Amino acid sequence: MSSQARRCYDLLLRLLPPEFRQRWAADMADVLEARLDGASGPLGRTAVWFRAILDVAVFALRERLVGSRRAASVANPSLPALAIQDFKYAARTLLRSPGFTLVAIATLAVGVGASTATYSVVYPVLLEAPPYPDAEQLVVIWPEANLNRTAVGMAQDDMASLSRVSGLSNWSLTLTGTGDPIEITATLVSPQHFELLGVSPLLGRTFVAEHEIPANAGVVVLSYDFWVRAFGADPDILGQVIDLAGADHERREIIGVMPLDFRPIDASTEVWVPLQGDPTLALEEDTSWYVNTRIGRLAPGVDLEQANAEIRAHAQAVRDRIPSIIDAETAQSATVAPLSQHRARGIGNALWVALGAVFMVLLIACANLANLLLARGEARHHELAVRAALGAGRGRIGRLVLAETLLLGAMGGGLGVATAFGLVELLVSQAPADFPAIADVAVSTPVLGAALGATLLATVLAGLAPVLKASRADAAAALAGAARGATGSQRARLGTALIGVQVGLAVVVTVGSGLMLRSLGELLAVNPGLDPQGVVAFRPSPPAGRYPDGIAMRAYYDRVTEQVASLPGVESVGAIHLLPGTTSNWSFPTYPEGVEIPEGTAVPSVNFRATRLGYFRTVRIPLLAGRLLKETDHADSELVVLVNSALANHFWPGEDPLGKELRIFSRTNDPARVVGVVGNVRQHRRDMDPLPEMYYPHAQVSWNQLTMSITARFDDDEPLRRAGELRQAVWAVDADVPISDMQELSEVLATSTRPTRFLALLLSGFASISLALGAFGVFGVTSYTVGRRKSEFGVRLALGSSRFGLGAAAMGRSLLPVAVGLAGGIAGAVAASRLLESVLYGVGATDLATLVGVTLLLGMVAIAATLVPAWRASRVDPVAVLNAD
Amino acid sequence: MDSAQITTYLPLHPLEFRILLALAGGPNYGARIVRHVEEHELHGGKLYPANLFRRIRDLLERELLEECEGPEDADARRTYLRMTHLGEEVALAEAARLEALLGDARDLDLVRGR
Repeated sequence: MSSQARRCYDLLLRLLPPEFRQRWAADMADVLEARLDGASGPLGRTAVWFRAILDVAVFALRERLVGSRRAASVANPSLPALAIQDFKYAARTLLRSPGFTLVAIATLAVGVGASTATYSVVYPVLLEAPPYPDAEQLVVIWPEANLNRTAVGMAQDDMASLSRVSGLSNWSLTLTGTGDPIEITATLVSPQHFELLGVSPLLGRTFVAEHEIPANAGVVVLSYDFWVRAFGADPDILGQVIDLAGADHERREIIGVMPLDFRPIDASTEVWVPLQGDPTLALEEDTSWYVNTRIGRLAPGVDLEQANAEIRAHAQAVRDRIPSIIDAETAQSATVAPLSQHRARGIGNALWVALGAVFMVLLIACANLANLLLARGEARHHELAVRAALGAGRGRIGRLVLAETLLLGAMGGGLGVATAFGLVELLVSQAPADFPAIADVAVSTPVLGAALGATLLATVLAGLAPVLKASRADAAAALAGAARGATGSQRARLGTALIGVQVGLAVVVTVGSGLMLRSLGELLAVNPGLDPQGVVAFRPSPPAGRYPDGIAMRAYYDRVTEQVASLPGVESVGAIHLLPGTTSNWSFPTYPEGVEIPEGTAVPSVNFRATRLGYFRTVRIPLLAGRLLKETDHADSELVVLVNSALANHFWPGEDPLGKELRIFSRTNDPARVVGVVGNVRQHRRDMDPLPEMYYPHAQVSWNQLTMSITARFDDDEPLRRAGELRQAVWAVDADVPISDMQELSEVLATSTRPTRFLALLLSGFASISLALGAFGVFGVTSYTVGRRKSEFGVRLALGSSRFGLGAAAMGRSLLPVAVGLAGGIAGAVAASRLLESVLYGVGATDLATLVGVTLLLGMVAIAATLVPAWRASRVDPVAVLNAD
Repeated sequence: MDSAQITTYLPLHPLEFRILLALAGGPNYGARIVRHVEEHELHGGKLYPANLFRRIRDLLERELLEECEGPEDADARRTYLRMTHLGEEVALAEAARLEALLGDARDLDLVRGR
C-alpha cells in the first residue's frame, strides 16, 4: 500500500472511537493492504476501497450512535436507538425506489469522484510548492535558450541575488554492460545542483566542484527508481563503474543514490552526471551549447524583484560578450520566475481548463441532485401529510426525511471516494510519461473532504426543503390536494431554473471537449513528413571498447545493415542517430555561406542528425533537389550535407541551396557542401512548424562512438512480428552486442501527441458526464411537470385538444429552459474557451462548427430526454384522471 | 463455573464462534484472525474487518478472550489474543449445542449426504 493510501486510510480510521482505533488500526491496515495487493486492476482496487470505506463508516456510525448495545433500552428508547430506527426505515424507503436511489448515488459519486481525481492530478503541478526545502526561494531563469556551461558560471558571478545557480541539460544515454542495454534519461547538472535544491543523497554523496573538471567528471548519481530497476537496490552499488553510451562511451563511477521521495526538476530523469568543461575557457570559446535550463536559489532576504533587476543586467553582459547568443529583445525580457512555473510550462493552461471543467461537472451534479430530491420531496408530499394526519410529530417526520438524505449522502460519498481512487489510478496510467510531477499524484485528502462537503451540503439543503414543508404541512389541505398547486409551481420554477443552469454548464464543458477532440483530429491529420507504417526501429549498442575507433564502428553498422537488408520481406534499411518523435535533440550553432549574421542577432541553432545510406528511402522522406547520400561520401571525401526545405528557405530564400556551404560550431571550421534538399519532418511535435535541419553522413561525423538507430521497412503491416529475425540478423554480425528499443516507428511518433490525447480524454470524460447528467435533469423535470399537469391534460383532452398538441406542449415547456441554458452556455463557452487557445492546434477557440455541433448535440439530447414524458402526456386517459380528481 | 452459567453465553453469534475457533490453535493477532476466518470459514469470502474487531472487543469484555504476550519477534503494535478458560468452555458448549441441533436435523431427514 502506498504511503498516500495509508495516510488516507488512517484518516478514515479517525472516524472510529479512539480506544478501538488504538487497538486495531494496525491490523485493519494490514487487512486492507493484503486485499489491495490481491486486487486486480483499478476496478478491483476501487471495489476494495469501497468495501473498506463502507466497513469503517457503518461501524463508526453504529458506535457513535449506539455507544454500547447494553445502554439501549427497548421500553424507553434513547435518542441513538431512535436514530438507528430512522436509518433502518430510511434504508427500506430508499430500497423501494431503486431507480431514484441509484441515480442519486451515481450523481453524487460522479461529482465527488471526478472532481477529486482531477484536482489530485492538477494539484502537484499547479498549486503545490515544489518538494524542496524553502522552495519559495527556488527560481528558474527565463528564457530557456541554449546556453553554455560558462554562461551558467557567469550568472552565478553576476547575480548577488542568487546564492547558487545550476545549469541543466537533458540527454538520452544507453546503459550497457549490465545485461540488456537500457535507454535512460540523464540530466547534466552543475556540481552545486543538489546543494541548491537542499537535498541529500540516500547513499553516498553528490557532486562537488572538482567534478566539473573533465578529468574528474567520470561520476554518476542514480535516482532511487533507477537504482531499484537496474541494480535491484544493491546496497553495495557505490564505487561500481558503469558504461553510459551517448555521443561517446563513458565509464562512470556511481557515487550516490538519491532518496525515494526526491523529485527531479524534470520528472523523467534517471541519472545525473556533472556538466563538465574546461574552467579556463572564455564564454566565447566554450562549445557546450546544450544547457537549456538554469535554476537558482535566491539569497536570504532577496525577493524576486531584486533578482529580476539583476537578470537583465546579466543577460545584457552576456550579449555584450557574444552578441550572437542573445538578441536585444531577449536580453531585455529576461526574467527570474518561481520554480513552480517551470513544472507547469506548456500545460499550465490546459490543466486550469481541466480544473474549471471538473468544477462545472461538480456544479451540474449538485444541481441534478437538488432537482432529483426536490421532485421526490414533492412526490412524497401527500405521503408525509398522511403520516402527519395519523399523529406523527413534526420532528419525527423531519427526522425520517433527513435520515434518508444523510444515508444517500453517505452512500454516494463513499462510492465517490472509491471512484476518486480508481480514477486517479486511471489518469496516472494514461498520462504522458513526461507529465510533470506524475510521481506526486495521489488522492488529495483536503479536496476529497471539500468535494464531499459540497455534495453533502447540496443533498441536505435539497432534502431540507421537503422536510420543512412536511413539518409545516397543513395535513387536511395536503390531503385534499389544495396545497399542491402553490408549492408545485414554486418547485417547478426552481426545477426549471436548475435545468437552465445545468444545460448552460454542460455546453461549456462539451464545447471544451469538442475543441480538444477537433484539435487532436487536426494534429493526427498533419503530415509528419515521412511514412512510418511498416518501419521498425531498434538500437544496437556495442559495448565500450568493442569497436574502439570510428572505422571499426562504422564497419560494424555497415555489416548490420547488410544483414538486415538480406532478410526476406525487407524493402530497405537505413539508420539515424536520433529518431523523429523522440524528445532528445542535437542542435548546433550554424554558419551558412553567404548569410551575414547581423549585429544584435543570435547565431542560428540548427537541428543536427547523423544518418546512413538508405534512411530517407526507408522512412520515405522525399528528395526535393540534388541527391541523397552515396557510398562515396566517406571519411576522406569532401564533407557533404543534406538539408531540409525549411533550412533552404530560411537561409537562402529564392536561391538554389545546392552547392552552398554550412559550418557548424564556428565560422572557421571545415565547411560541408549542400548536395541535396529533402522534405521537412516534424521531429518533435506535430503542432510546431518544421525547424531547419541538416543531415550529415555517419561516415563524416567526428563522434566515433555514436550509436545509431537502425530503421527497416518491411512489406508487412505488422513488422514487429519480424523482431526475432531482426535480432538474429544483428547477432549474426556480433552476438555480444545488445539491442534496445525495438519498436514500430509509428509508435515512436505517437508519443508526441500523448499530451493532447490525455487532455482530450479528460475533457471528453467530463463532457459525457455533463451530457448524461443534463439528460437526466431534463428527463426528471419533464416527467415531474407532466405528472403534475396530468389532470389539466385530462381536462384539455376532454375539451377536444389533440393528443399530439398535448405532447408538444409538454415538450415545449421543458425545452424553453433548455434553450435559455444553451444560449447562456454558448456565451460562457466562447469566453471560457479562450483559456484553451494555447493548447489548441488547427482550430480556433471560437470554432463555429464546434459551437453549432455542440448546440445541436445538446438540443437533441434534451429533445430525446423529453420524448418519453411527452408521450406519457399524450396518453393520459381523461376519464381515469377526472374520476381520480 | 457451572454449566447453567455457561449457557447464559449461548447461543454465540456465528462470527464470535468463528473467532474462538480461529484461536483454538493458540494465540494470534487481529489481521491473522481475519485471514484465518476468511480462509477456513468463508472459503475465500471477505469479512468486514471493523465488524470482526467489534466482536473481538465484545468477547474481551465478556472475558471469553484475553490479551497475551506475542512471540519474541512480534510487532509491538499488535494485540495478541487467546481464549480464556471460560472461552474454551463456552466454545465447547456452543459446539455441543450445534451438534445437538444438527442431530435433531438429521433425525428429521433434513441433512443430506449422511
